[in-house]
Amino acid sequence: MDEGRSRLRIFIALVAIIMGILTLRVGKLQIVERSDHTGQSVNNAVREWRVQPPRGRFYDRNGVLMVDNEPRFTLFVTPRYFDKETIPLISRLLERPDSVIAERFQAAAKNPFQRAPIQADVSFEELSRVLEHRHILPGVDYEITQKRQYLTDARMTHAMGYVREISESALQEHREEGYVWGDPFGQGGLERQYESAVRGVPGSDFKMINIKGQVVAEYLDGQEDRPAKNGLDLNLTIDADLQAFAESLFVGKRGGVVALDPRNGEILALHSAPDYDLDLFTKRLDPQKWDSITTHLDKPMFNRVTQSKFMPGSTFKPLIALLALGMGEIDYNDEVYCPGYHPLGGGRIYKCLDEHGAINVVEAIKYSCNTFFFEMMRRIDVNSLHRLATTLGFGERPYLDIAAGEVERGNVPDSAWYNEQFPGIGGWTQGYIMNLGVGQGEMEVTTLQLARYMGAIANGGTLVTPHFVRSMVDPETGEHVVPDYPEPVTLDLNETYLRLLREGMRQVIEETSWWLEIPDIPSIGKTGSAQNSRGEEDDSVFIMAAPADDPEIAIAVFVENAGYGSGAAGRTASFMAERFLTGRVDLSGDRAWIWQQMFEMNSAPLYETLGSPGG
Amino acid sequence: MEVQEGDQYVRRRYTNLDPVTLFTWAALVLIGLLAIFSATHGPSSEFYQFNPRQNFSNQIMWVGISLVGLVIALVLPVRFFQQMAFPIYGLTILLLLAALVFGREVNGAKSWLYFGPIGLQVSEMAKVGTVLAVAQVVGMRRPKTMDLRFAFLLLGIIMLPAILIVLQNDTGTALVFFGLVPIVLFWSGLDFNLLLLMIAPAVAGYFAIVSMPVAIGFVLLFLGFMWWRTRDVRISVVSLVMTGGVVAMANVALTMILSDYQVQRIMSFTDPGAAEFRQNVGFHQVNSMAAIGSGGWFGKGFLQGTQTQGGYVFEQSTDFIFSVIGEEWGFFGSLLVLGLFAILLIRLLQLGANMKHPFGVLIAAGAAGIYLIHIFINIGMATSLLPVIGIPLPFISYGGSALLANSALLAIVLSLHLKKDDFSIYGY
Repeated sequence: MDEGRSRLRIFIALVAIIMGILTLRVGKLQIVERSDHTGQSVNNAVREWRVQPPRGRFYDRNGVLMVDNEPRFTLFVTPRYFDKETIPLISRLLERPDSVIAERFQAAAKNPFQRAPIQADVSFEELSRVLEHRHILPGVDYEITQKRQYLTDARMTHAMGYVREISESALQEHREEGYVWGDPFGQGGLERQYESAVRGVPGSDFKMINIKGQVVAEYLDGQEDRPAKNGLDLNLTIDADLQAFAESLFVGKRGGVVALDPRNGEILALHSAPDYDLDLFTKRLDPQKWDSITTHLDKPMFNRVTQSKFMPGSTFKPLIALLALGMGEIDYNDEVYCPGYHPLGGGRIYKCLDEHGAINVVEAIKYSCNTFFFEMMRRIDVNSLHRLATTLGFGERPYLDIAAGEVERGNVPDSAWYNEQFPGIGGWTQGYIMNLGVGQGEMEVTTLQLARYMGAIANGGTLVTPHFVRSMVDPETGEHVVPDYPEPVTLDLNETYLRLLREGMRQVIEETSWWLEIPDIPSIGKTGSAQNSRGEEDDSVFIMAAPADDPEIAIAVFVENAGYGSGAAGRTASFMAERFLTGRVDLSGDRAWIWQQMFEMNSAPLYETLGSPGG
Repeated sequence: MEVQEGDQYVRRRYTNLDPVTLFTWAALVLIGLLAIFSATHGPSSEFYQFNPRQNFSNQIMWVGISLVGLVIALVLPVRFFQQMAFPIYGLTILLLLAALVFGREVNGAKSWLYFGPIGLQVSEMAKVGTVLAVAQVVGMRRPKTMDLRFAFLLLGIIMLPAILIVLQNDTGTALVFFGLVPIVLFWSGLDFNLLLLMIAPAVAGYFAIVSMPVAIGFVLLFLGFMWWRTRDVRISVVSLVMTGGVVAMANVALTMILSDYQVQRIMSFTDPGAAEFRQNVGFHQVNSMAAIGSGGWFGKGFLQGTQTQGGYVFEQSTDFIFSVIGEEWGFFGSLLVLGLFAILLIRLLQLGANMKHPFGVLIAAGAAGIYLIHIFINIGMATSLLPVIGIPLPFISYGGSALLANSALLAIVLSLHLKKDDFSIYGY
């Protein structure tokens, strides 16, 4: 039996060797190479689902919810598990044509195990109907997306901006902030400017998927999941009612209006016409509609409040008056004689609207006397004008909390600018400068700049910082954050002179353009008609503030190619101020037909639209 | 007195029933059931195209059948196994032939016979018949008369079913029979040097696939070892020719004879994650290794394996069941299984040695040898130590025929050991 014993030992040794080899092998995999294999298995079987938090909501100044989020659902099918016979049922539940769903299924069926979206933009009600039938709908599942929902009549198209999937270039730029493909990203306006605040923090759900890509279970019972954090809500300075009202007044008009609180720069309304429906961007964008917006000759994408540059016309006259008074070129009771033209140039070049006779500065503003202001600029050098205009915010890009690049600076020339533009002896003459006195010539302003300027006249010399957001609120903690704006600039303006300006502008409304008077509320304003080469008719410009003695609203209106400032622009400003201050529009007496007329004073078509070359 | 004698008789029999073997068998079957449950009843099971949940209930049924078989085997007398060895062998050969003619093809192998709803993988049954027949032949022989004719008889008994199984296109199972040859010859008293000469070429061939320098090193080492052992020029030359020949043949086959597809199949286990392999056969081993490797020390927990529950591992309730244990039970689970197997095999060999009769010794050695080959190939495959060869892990993998056949072998060993004193010294 020794022989047997030794064979037994050898065999036991063989068993031990083989078990040893296997133990070493398994140990190598499970202990030495564990992290490699863990990586492989996690890559395989664990997938991260990004959970998009609801974007911050927008409230107006009175707490009216303007912009919310609506959960929408995308229905997916996995063709391998899907029963084609259920397509009619699904289309009936979704109330969508079954040819569309059948078509998408056909396209998806090429990759039988690949989940494919079969219907996007499904409402909760529709989804519920589908889920009620889940037991007979194999291979159907869904994902949640958040969609912007606009709840008021105020569209606020240009200031609001919209939300789209992040673009490749934006992704490159903002990858470090945690963006990934498919994330929503604000495009333009407030959505872009406050993107980092309203975006919130996307969360992650980790789910176990099987070899066919189906979700099998929560990974580690959700221990690894990170909840999404909601974006900050924005409390806007906008008055939704006034905004909607402003938008309703611009039917048939091109132009812009901005109303702000001259005491603090809060923007009450900002509208650029024409605009477009932001709801376009909450669903799959129809390329035809997109084309019609981007290629339309009226340029609806263009923000005419901050981007349209035009000559201020007579709305600049109070600034010239302030300049002349400040420089001692004229005293408040000094008079200039107006024969209906300025004598320089023999009366054929520098015309006035009327023969105003001997006229002082207040009357010159009241009657908008060209002769007076030609004369002022005959006496004053262009660099002094440049300095004061710059002080009042012209020729510089005003701060505004919408997307950068959407605000223009305009132009207020100085002598260096003229030398550059018109070089050589006799390149530019004093006549150019005199023209600036009536807001014409080589000068460009924006509606937003005019509103700030109006505010500064109204509030006694403070150049406010226009802004849209009062505070940002964390919806979970209620914590308020006030955005960091540039401080308003207190200008060193002579209050006596400002009072003269306001007196002239009060008389503009009370006497010259009496139809713009708000019933029972004194106000100040100034008309302007700006030459342009866009189309027939001057641009109608108007600036206004009310109530006159303690203004709560300053408005600048710009209506392209609509004639006199006291027409379309003046009426719009007047009714908006009334609406804001009284909450209503009083159409008794003359105001009824003034109101009526406003809707007939539309923008003349652009030359481009007519097919003739613009001047 | 008769009653007292009966008592003693019963007590003696009871003590001969080996508890260690029974316990390890039960433990392995239980582990198998848990792993099958995890592979088929996890959160993902509802997504399977063909629901394998019934694998679990089927296996429970087969455990019951095996238990009944175990009890029957314990009751049967020693003589029954000896007398029935050849008839059973003959029956299994007939079944193999029948499977070739009437069999149903499953996974490419025509080795299944169906009796109503119950399928029987006859190649599994053939293992039992072959081990019985081999043991009976060795048992009838006068001890220590190992001659070539006898060795060829044993070889023939083993190779006949092996060839039929190859014809059924189930090379993996046939491989077990080839592996059985050296084990049986070893226990029948084959010269140890000859045995080494039989085994060494296989090892050399393996190294030739994994790494040519290692293979050449092994050939030289083996040559030196045989020379040191025997100081016999002839044996040394034969050892060099056999191992070196296999290495050279493997090299020629891989580079010139075999098609790319075949080479890929053979080579892929050496680096299953490589780009050229992972889309094909390598895919299963990559996922199996990912499952086992990611289990770490203690595993991810019952029903918590992401690979298992995601159905990433192919045939995870049958051939790749070890990936389930490795992933969900970790290194300790792997050690538990390997340890139980080691205990069972060594215990079986000891039981065989205790029986002192060649028939019992050979049955025990044959059973242990068959288990060992299965364990090595199966776990080797799951851990990418070996190519993908589809054979089950004894007692653990889902598969009724295999469980029944393996349990039958074990039951015969237990039964023979229980009645080891009944062995006729005359060998019938």
